[in-house]
Amino acid sequence: MNQHHLTSAYHVEILPPKQETEKLYEDLDRFAQKYKRVMESGYCACITDNAMGNLAFQGTEMIEELHLPALENQVMIHLNTFHTKDDLHRILDACRNSGIRQLLVITGDGSDRLPRLTPSDVGADGVEAVTSVELLRYIDRAYPGDFDLGVAFNPYEPEDHEFAKLDRKIAAGASFAITQPVIERHPVVDRLLAEYPDFPVVVEAWMSKKLSLLSEAVGYEIPQDAAYDPIENLKTLHRNYPRCEVYLSILGFKTQYDLLQHVRN
Amino acid sequence: MIANTTEARAEYRNVWVVAEVLAGEVQQVTYELLGSARDLADARGSEVWCVVLGSGVSSQAEALFHRGADVALVVDDPGFVSFVDEDQAAVLERLVRCHKPEIVLCGATTRGRALIPRVAVAANCGLTADCTGLSIDPENGDLLQTRPAFGGNILATIRCSDHRPQMATVRPRVMNELEADTARSGRVISETLQPAERNGHKQILKVFRDSDNSVNLADARFIIAGGRGLKGPDGFKMLKDLAEQVHGAVGASRAAVDSGWVPYYHQVGQTGQTVQSTVYVACGISGQIQHLVGMQSCDFVIAIDKNPDTPMMQLADVAVVGDLFEIIPALIKEISAT
Amino acid sequence: MRIVVCVKQVPGTHDASIDPETKRIIREGIKVVINPFDTYAIEAAVQIKEQIGGEVIALSMGPSRAVTVLREGITVGADRGILLSDRAFGGSDTWATSYALARAIQKIGDVDLVICGKQAIDGDTAQVGPGIAAHLHWPQATYVMEVGEIDGASVTTKRMHEDGWDLCSLRLPAVLTVVKDINQPRVPTLKGRLAAEEQQIPIWKAEDIGADPELIGLHGSPTRVVKTNPPAGRGKKSVVLDGTVQQNVRALVHEMRQRSLI
Repeated sequence: MNQHHLTSAYHVEILPPKQETEKLYEDLDRFAQKYKRVMESGYCACITDNAMGNLAFQGTEMIEELHLPALENQVMIHLNTFHTKDDLHRILDACRNSGIRQLLVITGDGSDRLPRLTPSDVGADGVEAVTSVELLRYIDRAYPGDFDLGVAFNPYEPEDHEFAKLDRKIAAGASFAITQPVIERHPVVDRLLAEYPDFPVVVEAWMSKKLSLLSEAVGYEIPQDAAYDPIENLKTLHRNYPRCEVYLSILGFKTQYDLLQHVRN
Repeated sequence: MIANTTEARAEYRNVWVVAEVLAGEVQQVTYELLGSARDLADARGSEVWCVVLGSGVSSQAEALFHRGADVALVVDDPGFVSFVDEDQAAVLERLVRCHKPEIVLCGATTRGRALIPRVAVAANCGLTADCTGLSIDPENGDLLQTRPAFGGNILATIRCSDHRPQMATVRPRVMNELEADTARSGRVISETLQPAERNGHKQILKVFRDSDNSVNLADARFIIAGGRGLKGPDGFKMLKDLAEQVHGAVGASRAAVDSGWVPYYHQVGQTGQTVQSTVYVACGISGQIQHLVGMQSCDFVIAIDKNPDTPMMQLADVAVVGDLFEIIPALIKEISAT
Repeated sequence: MRIVVCVKQVPGTHDASIDPETKRIIREGIKVVINPFDTYAIEAAVQIKEQIGGEVIALSMGPSRAVTVLREGITVGADRGILLSDRAFGGSDTWATSYALARAIQKIGDVDLVICGKQAIDGDTAQVGPGIAAHLHWPQATYVMEVGEIDGASVTTKRMHEDGWDLCSLRLPAVLTVVKDINQPRVPTLKGRLAAEEQQIPIWKAEDIGADPELIGLHGSPTRVVKTNPPAGRGKKSVVLDGTVQQNVRALVHEMRQRSLI
């Protein structure tokens, strides 16, 4: 790991252009600029995989086609279960070839336009449907040692159920977890850190001022006095979870990015 | 055909219904169309003709007279044992040119929607798909055709002033059949398929009829539909039990079909079928827009879901909050108890 | 084998919501998308091409912005696209639309197979596919859920019906309309998309396809939309049953009885 990575350790989520875009070149350009900026800062660029079931281009093809550098430990690819087996291997091979080690393996959201891995695709004939657990196990077996596999941890789900799921994910090969966005602190995340002291946990910070979107996504209950300052929240997270790296979702590159370097002091 | 003067239009008389025939049996939708055709013909002071294209169908004319037909125009041909749209369209076109009906109605079924557009193009006349309302304009006698578009978001009224006949496909389960009147009778006109009308470009190799009534969404008065909330194929067995109880069909959301819990021909919605049943029971279907456009024209919607805030629960006439794995078995029991 | 796929640009349903008063769907914005059924038609054509060789041509009629749906087709494997765009086509109903598309198919020439989606999600008519077949005097198979054997002379298809399915063999040239069950369209790649962006899409006007001016646009359309209304709202508020299972079921059955539904 390089020096920057150790000191800053931000994971910055970037969404690739949607397939339906009518301004492809503009969107590609914007993506490349954001990506390069993250590389230069020594942060880690986290590229989503058809987020919310909306068809978008893949992170790996963006990096290939736009000739973007994939610096060591500075790229994380999201990978969900809505792919054909061929496409899955294409993505994994591309990651391996360009030295991308970090994968965030999630079940993901489907849509009419997305295929779905079948149990037989991933050698999991006993299950009804492929979830992140089966996908993890498959990648771990098919690409031994090639990747650091991350998983999602949702403190807003029923607690014991979520911990049981985490155990299954760890057994299937997960080596770190990223939480859903946390506002200030969350008791279930506290429990996670206490019970899994050696397991790396990345805490997600919600960087949009609109808490209602978060509420829709994870069922987070908005407190009455809901004036939300994402930068203040980020500072609080660093204070409350000093051992955790932080994942930034919906980061404003124009308004917030330059503030990041001053946050962690 | 172009008929852009009053005189030209006056040459066209009578309301035709093209019967839906499956395996030699006239189907329910035909009786519904005869009911509607009767009203239209009475308004126009003309006759109702029912065109029956099939194999071994000659004996069915009586039933058609009982349901409002004055004339049964029968083409009984062994080649019509299965659905060869090209040949049926060819013979229909000839009959239309020869007898000059003013209006031609056909069920908006997979077969009707394949057959009638061919005839309308060949005979150069207008066609309105999937009508849910038909009436006669008192001013000039034109057929006013009402149909939903944009997945039921808009009701469009369409007319076809300068071409005759005026053609429409009509959704099953929308029009009312007449009570059978066994005293009514009518005339049978027999026609034959001409050799030139046997196009020979299509061969039916195999026909599979699903004996399972739970798949026919178009004809169903009751649809019991399930989504992600059913959690797996076993949930659909439960829906099928309920469907059997109320003689209904089983529908499904895209999520359930894509998960492989139930085959595609159960799918309701934008990329499945548009349905218009009297009752639609949505079980564990959150109600994505793409699903709602396929069912929002149903008369009475019941939703069952744990979460009272889903779009489907908002749209429903009756929203039942609770665990559908408890509610549906209890519902089956309650209905069968009486 | 030369295959033409007819595609249409339609208003998307992404941004729709439900009006709490009328309980009807409200569409916002004017985002346009490729008709969902047409994606299955393109995939079916590309699979046939991959199997037996040939060329896939995406064909659309619409305003100039409709080139984007042709590019989408090229992205996932169509070789080229053609857009019919002319004010003279404006106001076409399904008769005139299928006439114009049939004329374009004749102009393309040597076409063995035309594939369309089952229907477009805006008009929902399902008439254009059979209409094209009728104008060309070709056989057709509608609601196709599977394409079986195919060679230069014939194609075998499985057609879906309400009560089952049938298998039929069609002599080529022929027209197919397909349902969703037929395949899983491949996901577009950036490489494919960049290549599609580079392609020039020719625009054909009415005179380019030798269309009879009397048979296109409003002139050539026998039907007229005389008015459009929003459908009657579902009106009343939902009855919400949130008691115990037994209470709910009793109340529901009571409600259904009162309406003579059971």
